[in-house]
Amino acid sequence: MTAVLLPSGLEELWALWEQHPTAMPYAGGTDLLVRLRKGLAQAPALICLERLKELQCIEERGPELFLGALCTHQELLEHPLLRGRLPVLAQALAVLGSPPIRHMGTLGGNLATASPAGDTLPPLYVLGAEVELCSPAGVRRLSLTDFIRGPGQVTLGPREIVGGVWVAPPSDSVRQHFEKVGLRKALAIAVVSLAALIDLTPQGVVRGARLAWGSLGPTVVRSPRAEQALLGGRLRLPELRAAADIVADEAAPIDDLRATAAYRREVAGNLLLRLAQYGGG
Amino acid sequence: MPGVEAVLTHAQVRGSNRQGVIRKDQPVLVDDKVRHCGDAVALVVARDQGTLAAALGLIELELEPLEPVLDMTRALEPDAPLVHEDHPTGNILLAGELVSGRGQAALADCAQVVELALELPRQEHAFLETEAGWAILTPEGTLEIVASTQTPFRDRTEVAEALGLELEQVRVSAPYLGGGFGGKDGVTVQSLLGLAALACPGRPVKMWWSREESFLAGVKRHPARLHYRLGAESDGRLRALDADLCYDTGPYDHLGGVVMTLGLEHAGGPYRIEHVRLRARAVYTNNPVSGPFRGFGVPQAAAALEQAMDLMAQRLGLDPIELRRRNLARRGQRVASGARLDCSHGLEECLQKLAGHQWWRGRGAWKAQAGPFKRRGVGVAAVMHGLGYGPVVPDVANAKIELTPQGKIRVYSGVADMGQGNASTCLQIAGQVLNQGLENMELVLPDTERTLPSGSASASRTTFTYGQALIAASGQLRRRLLERAADLLFVASATELALLPGRVRHSASGRELPLARLAALMQESERVAVGRHRAPVSQERPTADEALRLHGLPHAVFSFATQLAAVELDELTGQVELKGFVSVCDCGRLLNQQLAEQQMQGAMAQGLGYALCEDFAVAGGRVQTPDLSTYLLPTSLDAPDMDSLWVQAHEPSGPFGLKGVGEVGMDGPLPAISNAVADACGLRAQRFPLTPERVLAVLGRPWAAGGRP
Amino acid sequence: MKLRFTLNGRPVELETPSDRRVVDLLREDLGLTGVKEGCGQGECGACTILVDGVSRLSCLMLAAQLTGSSITTIEGLAARGRLHPVQEAFVQQGAVQCGFCTPGMVLAAVDLLGRDPQPRREEIRDGLSGNLCRCTGYQKIVDAVEQAAQPPQPEEEP
Repeated sequence: MTAVLLPSGLEELWALWEQHPTAMPYAGGTDLLVRLRKGLAQAPALICLERLKELQCIEERGPELFLGALCTHQELLEHPLLRGRLPVLAQALAVLGSPPIRHMGTLGGNLATASPAGDTLPPLYVLGAEVELCSPAGVRRLSLTDFIRGPGQVTLGPREIVGGVWVAPPSDSVRQHFEKVGLRKALAIAVVSLAALIDLTPQGVVRGARLAWGSLGPTVVRSPRAEQALLGGRLRLPELRAAADIVADEAAPIDDLRATAAYRREVAGNLLLRLAQYGGG
Repeated sequence: MPGVEAVLTHAQVRGSNRQGVIRKDQPVLVDDKVRHCGDAVALVVARDQGTLAAALGLIELELEPLEPVLDMTRALEPDAPLVHEDHPTGNILLAGELVSGRGQAALADCAQVVELALELPRQEHAFLETEAGWAILTPEGTLEIVASTQTPFRDRTEVAEALGLELEQVRVSAPYLGGGFGGKDGVTVQSLLGLAALACPGRPVKMWWSREESFLAGVKRHPARLHYRLGAESDGRLRALDADLCYDTGPYDHLGGVVMTLGLEHAGGPYRIEHVRLRARAVYTNNPVSGPFRGFGVPQAAAALEQAMDLMAQRLGLDPIELRRRNLARRGQRVASGARLDCSHGLEECLQKLAGHQWWRGRGAWKAQAGPFKRRGVGVAAVMHGLGYGPVVPDVANAKIELTPQGKIRVYSGVADMGQGNASTCLQIAGQVLNQGLENMELVLPDTERTLPSGSASASRTTFTYGQALIAASGQLRRRLLERAADLLFVASATELALLPGRVRHSASGRELPLARLAALMQESERVAVGRHRAPVSQERPTADEALRLHGLPHAVFSFATQLAAVELDELTGQVELKGFVSVCDCGRLLNQQLAEQQMQGAMAQGLGYALCEDFAVAGGRVQTPDLSTYLLPTSLDAPDMDSLWVQAHEPSGPFGLKGVGEVGMDGPLPAISNAVADACGLRAQRFPLTPERVLAVLGRPWAAGGRP
Repeated sequence: MKLRFTLNGRPVELETPSDRRVVDLLREDLGLTGVKEGCGQGECGACTILVDGVSRLSCLMLAAQLTGSSITTIEGLAARGRLHPVQEAFVQQGAVQCGFCTPGMVLAAVDLLGRDPQPRREEIRDGLSGNLCRCTGYQKIVDAVEQAAQPPQPEEEP
C-alpha cells in the first residue's frame, strides 16, 4: 500500500514531506496516476497537492498576473482575467483533454509533467512566463526554458514544487493566436500546436512576433529566424509562407504513432498561414 | 502463494480445448503453439486483484521462437510457415469465387473501366463494457455462467465441448450487455470462467478484462486489401466487375470464413452487372483475431465498390446518385453476386429521397461558401445488407410467453440485448398482440435454462427472426386466454370478448375478468405458449460451392440504405470535419422509430470512426494501440448531427413487415466520406482511415502558388 | 486511513487504504455499481462522479482525496424517487442504448447544465466530450441534454 497524504496548506506540506521524504507529489493525478497504473512509475508514498489553498489564486500583482499552480484548467479557463488578457492561453485550455480532465488537471501539473505535447506550454513560452518554485527555503523564479529541460525533465530541487506562473499580459495591439492539430476534436494529444503573439502597427506591419510550437521537438520549439522573417512585413501569404519554410526546414520532430516527422514539419509551417486572418486583407 | 486458489494450464482442460463455430481451432489455453499476442496460456484464480497481479507476474513462460506470419502477402507465399499445420488449404482459411457471364474478360469490351486498390484498417469494437462474467459450479454439479455475450446458447455448446462437460451440466445466461457489436458473438471469458469455476467448486469466480486485455485478446474487424476493376458502357450501364477481396482473419476461425463469405456476396453491391468475377479469401496470420463486427465483411466490400461507382460517375460525367439509380437490381432481378432479389426493396426510393435532400440539392452553394484554407465536398454511397444465417445453418428462434400466476404477461427472450433495445421491442411486439402495456409485462433475459434457443443476437436477425416467433407465441396465448375466458364467463364465442390491459372484457355485457383471476383458474401448462420461426432462405444457387453455402451464401432478405456525407477539409492540416451526415434506409416497416434511429446513428458514428480515426495498429504481431488514448474513438465533438430518413418497404417475411437495421448503417459511411473528400479535393487516398496526414498528402500544397488567403 | 465524506447526501465514515482508487471504493466496497470503469486512465468518462458538484473521474482519484468532500454518483441523483430532469430527458429521448456510458454521461450533463443552463448544441457536445459512447453516435444524448436545459426565461416588459 502507498500512503496518500493530503495537505491543505504549504506548512502542512513541508511537515508531511519531512516525515515522508520519498513521497511523490501530484496534483490532478491525470498524468501520474495513469503512469503508476501502467507501471511506468513507482511511488513509495504520494502527496496530493490539490488542497493547497495558497496556490489556487489568479491575481493581478502589479504589471503581472500570478496564476497559482493548483488552479485547475477549468478554473483558469473560466476566469475573466485569463479570458480577457491571455486569450492565447485560454484558447489552449479550451481544447485541453476533456471537461473532466480540465476539472482535475492543473497548470502546475501541466508544467511539471513537461510533455512535449503539453497544451499550456506553447502559450506560456510566447508569453514569456516565469515559473515560481516553492520549497521550505522559500520561493524562486525561473524562466520556462530554465525550468523545462527536456521531455518530462524539469528543474525542481528536493522538496520543491511548482507554486505558480508569472505572466505579463501583452498589450492590446498584440494578436494572440493558438491552434492545436489533433486526431480528433476532444481527448486529443497535440500532433502539432502553434501559439503566436503578433504585435501589429495600426498600419498592419509586424513589429513583434513570438512563435512557439508544441509536439515539434522534445520541448517547446521556438524559431527566432521565423520570427525575424515576419518583422517589418505584413501578415500576407508570401511573408507567412517564407516564415513557414524556415520552420519546416529547422524543425526536427519525430515519427510516432500519431504522425510522421515529415507531416509535423510541414504542418508546423502551414499553421503560420492561418495568421493571415489578422492581416486585414 | 497465499490467496492464489488455482493455477491452470491446458493440462487441466478435460475436453477438446478447442472453441469455434465452423472450424474449431481456438484453444481455451494454448497447448501446442502460441499463435498471437493475445493467446491465453495460463489461468490464475486468486482471492483479490492485488494477489492476482502479483501471481501473474511470477509466471515464467518458456517459448521457442517460431517464424511468424505477419501479413497476408507473406501468408500466401508457398514457403510461408503454416498457422495451422492441419488445415487442408494452408493459410487460406476459406476462399470463394463467384463468376457470371464472361467474368473479368468482359472488362475489355467496356467503354470505361475504373480501377481502385484499397487498404482498410483493423477496427476495434471498443464497447464501453469490456468482456466480463462470473461463474459457479453448483453443489449439484451444474456450471452456471453469467456472461456479457451475444450467443448464450452457442456458448453453452462450445464451453461444454471444450471443457469436456455434458450439455446439461452447463447453463449460460446473458443479462443486458454493455455493448457488443459482434465482439461478443462467440466465446470470450466463458470457457475461462468455466475452467476456473471447475477448479474452485462452490465458489463464484469473476473475470473482467481490463481495457488493455480487451484490446489485446478481443476480436476485431478484419483488415482488408481490395482490388476492384469496374467497367461500364458510355450510357452509364455497368457491364463488368472484377473484384478481389482479401481479409486478414488472424490465427483462428472466429467466424472469419462467414465474414469473408458475406463480403463476397456483397462485393458487387445492389447492382445489376452482367459479367463479374468476385473473389475473396480469408487468410490466417499471427495477427490479432478478426471476427464479427457490425457489417460483417460488407463494409470492406462497400468501401471499394462505392468508391469505384463514384470514379465511374466522374468518368462518365454522370450524377453519382443517377448512376446508382440506373444500375439498381430491382425486385426479381439478379444482383452482381448472381442471386435474384425477391425481398421488399426500397433502395430506389431511398436514392430519390436522398437526391431531393437539402444537403444534396444545396451542395453547390454550400461548397462555394468554404472559408479560407477550407475545401468542402459531398459524397454518397448506396448499400444492401443481407439478414440472417443464409441457406444452410437454420435461422431459427423459439419464443416463450407466459401469463404469470399474478396475471402479468412474461416474455422469455432468447436473444441478448446488447443495447439495440430488442428487450423493449419484445415487450412491444407481445404487448401489441396481447393489447398489454408495459406495466402488465415482464421480461426474462436469455438463459439457457429458462428461455428457449433462439440463435445469436447478430446478423441483423435478432428482431427479424425472434419477433416472428414471438408473434406466433403471443397469438397462441391470446387465443387461449380468450377461449378460457369465454368458458368462464359463459360466453358463446371468444370473438365476443376483448383482451384489454390487465383484463378480458365481454363487450356486450360489460362483464370483465381480470387476468390475475384468469391466471388463477388456469394450469401452468395452459398459461405458457411457445412459438417457433425459421427465417426464409433463398432458393438461388449462384455457386455450386457447398462450402460457401454453408458459410451463408446467398441471403434471401436484404435491408438497403443510402448515405450522404458532407465534409470540410483543412488545406493546412489535412483535418477532415464531418459537417453533414444523412441516411435514408429501407429496413422494412418500423416498429419503433426511436430504436431504429439509435441503430442508424450509432452505426454511422462507428462508420465515421472507421473512415477517419480508428486504426487498430499492429506491428510485428504486437499491438501498437493498446488503450483508449492511442486507439481513437469519435467523441461527441467529432460526430455531427445526423438526419435519419426511412423508406418503409413492407417485408412479408418479417414481423409486422420489419427487416433488420442493426448493420446496414455501418456499410456506407466510409465510402460516402471518402467520396466527399474526393469531391472536395479531386483525389483519393488508398489507405484508411483518412488521417490528417493521409489527406494532406492527397491535397498537396494548393496554397503554395498564390492560393486563396 | 479513516475516511469521512458525504456520499449522495449522507455522511460516510469508513476505514480504507488511502491509495484505494475511488472507483474501486465506490463499486467494490460501497456497492455503487452505477460507477463504471471503461478504461482506467481517464479516457472514457464512464467513471465520472460529481465531487462538490464538479464532474471528475473516479479512476484517477485516490481515496484520501475524498476527505471532507461531497460526492454524488448516479445512485444519488434521483431525489425522493423522482428522476432528475436530465435522467428523465435521457429516457424520453432514447439517449440510452447499452447504458454503460449513461451514468457518467448524465453526471457530465448535470455538471454542464450547472455551469451553463442553456447551452447551444455545440456547447453540449463540448461539455460531453470527455464521455465516450459507442452506441448512440451521441445525437440522442445531445437531444436529451437540450431538452433538460432550462427553457428560456420570458423577457421582462420594459
